[in-house]
Amino acid sequence: MQRIPILKMGPYLLVSIQVDMDDRTAMALQDDLMEQIVRHRARGVLIDISALDVVDSFIGRMLADTAAMARVLDADTVVVGMQPSVAITLVELGLALTGVRSALNIERGMDLLRSRIEGPGIADGHHEE
Amino acid sequence: MTIGISSITLAHDHDLVAARQRARQIATTLGFDAQDQTRIATVVSETARNVIRYAKSGKIEFGIAPGDVALLVITVTDRGPGIADLEMILAGKYVSKSGMGIGITGARRLMDDFQITSSSDNGTTVRMSKIIPRRGGIRPDDIERISRELVRQTPQSPLDELADQNTHLLKALADLQDRQSELEGLNQELEDTNRGVLALYAELDEKAVSLRRADTLKTRFLSDMGHEFRTPVNSILALTRLLDEADLSAQARKQVSLIRRAAEDLESLLSDLLDLAKIEAGKVDVRETAFEVNNLFSALRGMLRPLLLNRSVALIFEDTEGFPPMVSDEGKISQILRNFISNALKFTEAGEIRVSASLSDDSRFVTFSVADTGIGIAPEDQERIFEEFTQIDGPLQRRQKGTGLGLPLTRKLAALLGGTVRVESLPGIGSTFFASLPVQVGDTGKMEEMPEGTRPESGRSNRILIIDDDETARYTLGSFASRPGIELFEAENGLDGIEVARREKPDLIMLDLMMPGIGGHEVLERLKDDPQTASIPVVMITSRFINEDERHQILGRASRVIYKGDLSRELVTSVIDEAVKG
Repeated sequence: MQRIPILKMGPYLLVSIQVDMDDRTAMALQDDLMEQIVRHRARGVLIDISALDVVDSFIGRMLADTAAMARVLDADTVVVGMQPSVAITLVELGLALTGVRSALNIERGMDLLRSRIEGPGIADGHHEE
Repeated sequence: MTIGISSITLAHDHDLVAARQRARQIATTLGFDAQDQTRIATVVSETARNVIRYAKSGKIEFGIAPGDVALLVITVTDRGPGIADLEMILAGKYVSKSGMGIGITGARRLMDDFQITSSSDNGTTVRMSKIIPRRGGIRPDDIERISRELVRQTPQSPLDELADQNTHLLKALADLQDRQSELEGLNQELEDTNRGVLALYAELDEKAVSLRRADTLKTRFLSDMGHEFRTPVNSILALTRLLDEADLSAQARKQVSLIRRAAEDLESLLSDLLDLAKIEAGKVDVRETAFEVNNLFSALRGMLRPLLLNRSVALIFEDTEGFPPMVSDEGKISQILRNFISNALKFTEAGEIRVSASLSDDSRFVTFSVADTGIGIAPEDQERIFEEFTQIDGPLQRRQKGTGLGLPLTRKLAALLGGTVRVESLPGIGSTFFASLPVQVGDTGKMEEMPEGTRPESGRSNRILIIDDDETARYTLGSFASRPGIELFEAENGLDGIEVARREKPDLIMLDLMMPGIGGHEVLERLKDDPQTASIPVVMITSRFINEDERHQILGRASRVIYKGDLSRELVTSVIDEAVKG
């Protein structure tokens, strides 16, 4: 069975889905991510789905569930790079992906994560200066 | 009308991926825009998942309904249990744990047409279609081109490769299994063959046993028939001898001599046959004497000269002066050499036959050789001639008569004396037969001692009683015995014989061994047990060969054993004289 690689980058985990996953691969990715979040005490997860041209209800549900679980483990999730056609299709399907933050690309996604996690700290530090 | 362009079997997770990739590829090929490609792929993914999740297996078919407004038709079928609350799902009221409900309802929105039928008997069929955005539509002719393009584009994913490799592996495995079952088959075949071989062995064993039995039977037959033949032949011989003495015309005498010669030939054949049979039956004794080879040669020379009818053949005995005396059975050695020489005489038309002897280096063996300048024997026949009843085919051979027993007999006789025979021969040049025999034969036999017969009363004419069931034998014996001073009595069976013996008190009884009723053994027993007849010497006459044990048993009570074949006037006279005078 295929496994999707998870990269650690500072307090963040980076996942770039480059293949068309079957359902088991998707579920394995979800499990791996939770495990890595705990192991690395990750604060944020960035999932790049720019290579996916089909996100059906199962993958969509998986992404939403992953974000919810990570939230419980005190990590924020941002899904980045969703193709427009995929986004449209998801909406047409009736899948709103509520609870999943998204960003247009990795850069924006990282910014989003940083502001969410470090925002208050930076502000405080700024005040101390 | 829908023309199928592709189909995928749905059973595993990866089939789902394959199905949605195929859907996307087909959508691309047909010219759908990116959005529709995603829609179509997503719908296929949703419906195919339903099949894999709930029905375990099914299939998805892609087809094109050609026309001015052509349709991509996707049919997903399964044989599963059907969708129980289809109405609820389609109404959007069903909440699935894996998001499926949304999938189906959403799918309807993504396609131009979406029909779903489901029953617990026939499974679920989803038929959906989307208008192909192509100007002028699609003609049936175009579909083939599209199909070809699809095949060409089909990407080889790692999964497909794995599946391919898997297929190859499975094929290899199947091949291996085939090979193995082939080996097992071969093994089985070998086992069968093995069993067959064992069975054949058993059969061969049986055959060997029955051959041995047949061989024994043959020997017994030869022995028995030989004796059966010998009795009449002996009678003919004895009678012709008697006739010789009679006053006959020259012509009759000639005829009688011819009869006699024929009978003698027959007798010699019979004795060869009997000798062979006796040796095979282990009934021959070696009579060991010390003798000079030179004497043996001179005796042979005397015996064989008369056979040398052909003037162009010389029979030469080489000088053996200075040879140590041999201790062996002179009679048997003589028989071996006679056979060799008469053989040589038969097959030599001109030249010489040279008989010689040489001593081995250790002086333990004498090798006699008989070399001729005859027709020779082909190498392939050289062993065969020592087999019974073998005669080599050839013009000279055909002129010669013979039983084919001579050489086998020499081989057996030589073996009996602890020696061997062999032949060296070149066809057209001549043959040399060798017999290598030990100078000192093993201590296997003894000189026979003659038991002392009881002396008869003298002073009156000699009275001889002949007890024999065979009239010819009585007559012959009587004729040989008859002369002045001899009084003959005859009895044709054992009981009569005993009776006559008691009454007449003969000086000598000549008793036949083989008689119907009470046989010679018992007659002898009774005569010796009766005080009235106990002192009368008895000579046992037999045509049957008797072995050493039997001979000893007879000689315990009888004074002598005589073979019918040996009977002659001289012998009978000497026997009578011996018995009467002591």
